[in-house]
Amino acid sequence: MTSEEVLDVVRGAVVTVLEVDPASVTRETSFADDLNADSLALVEIVEIVEETLAPKARAGFHIEDEDLDGLTTVGAAVDYAVARL
Amino acid sequence: MTRVALDLMGGDHAPAAVLDGALLVADEAPDVEAVLVGPPDVASRLLAERDQAGRFEVVAATEVVGMDEDPARAIRKKRDATVRVCARLVRDGQADAMVSVGSTGAALAAAVFTLGRLRGVSRPPLAVVVPAKNGPLVFLDAGATPDAGADLLAQYALAGSAFAAIRLGLPEPRVGLLTNGEEAGKGDAVRKAAYDRLSALPIRFIGNVEGRDVPIGGVADVIVTDGFTGNVLVKGLEGAASMLTEVLLAAMTSTPERKAAAKELLPAFGEATAHMSPDVLGGAVLLGVDGVVVVGHGASSARAVASCIGVAVQAVQEGLVPKISGVLGALKDEREAMA
Repeated sequence: MTSEEVLDVVRGAVVTVLEVDPASVTRETSFADDLNADSLALVEIVEIVEETLAPKARAGFHIEDEDLDGLTTVGAAVDYAVARL
Repeated sequence: MTRVALDLMGGDHAPAAVLDGALLVADEAPDVEAVLVGPPDVASRLLAERDQAGRFEVVAATEVVGMDEDPARAIRKKRDATVRVCARLVRDGQADAMVSVGSTGAALAAAVFTLGRLRGVSRPPLAVVVPAKNGPLVFLDAGATPDAGADLLAQYALAGSAFAAIRLGLPEPRVGLLTNGEEAGKGDAVRKAAYDRLSALPIRFIGNVEGRDVPIGGVADVIVTDGFTGNVLVKGLEGAASMLTEVLLAAMTSTPERKAAAKELLPAFGEATAHMSPDVLGGAVLLGVDGVVVVGHGASSARAVASCIGVAVQAVQEGLVPKISGVLGALKDEREAMA
């Protein structure tokens, strides 16, 4: 998958969970500062992204819990996922 | 038969109080079947101690979410957590509802991750029916989400209005916003913004209400606030009711003469205070998830657990989830069409 395709997956998860306008979700969007996403929202987004990407990824694709704190922006989450697909 | 998945390990007095609550329901409501979700050895031991071996179906779940854990991350990590297995049983149609008196955050996370949210609800609130002096009212959020902005309060108002229409049988429930004064413009920035949002909703918004309107009632059928304020208020009211009961009882029995006179009054006193007891009130319904989820007080007794099960059964029987889903979905469609 391309970075743009993964961005669409992450954007879709964000829109589903936080019910925001898709156009407002870019690579630079911060989960905490721009989207006010709390811990529950972040984990929900992560679970949707994992579920969507798993069939298209290498076996065992998983977003590690200890890496979550570093994924502060949509772009960071996209790059993280692309590197592990 | 209504099947209720029961989180055996949730709550300050678990697992004993949870199991004893299930036994009360089994004795009093034969059309309700509790399914115990927890470590089978724990369930077997407790049942054997009570000569009730084989009385309930037990579904194995070995992990527990602690009160000191981040609920969302704990639920993600602990796939075999009791509360997550409860939600899975509801999702898979093996139970009609779930009840937990453990961590509210864990129940919320398990419900959201496993059952999913209904359209139009980004954060499901906990709604409780308060037996106010002038008639019952719906109060939400009783503690699911501490930080709620104006958008979320508007969602709560819609969900609470739909819930009151179903539970209280009111075609047009009056919705009030909890703040520190009745006049428009009272409150902090969130309340002021929420006032404008609620005014624009297709509900019967009557404006601001104050804390006293929750126990006294009669002003609004639905009172909306954030989960932090809601939880503090509910626990404050519980404490005040308990204090008042104890102080009155002590005063009524402080001398032999008063004690003799109190014998005549005690039945009426008991009757008046019983309906305010957390044991009888039952739990709060998590509105806006795709399944019936009832969350009780962490300090729930066996009787309180039984009341929570009763609240869950009522929600199943009144078709709460499909009805709320229909109302919120229609409103969401309408707003999207107007955007």
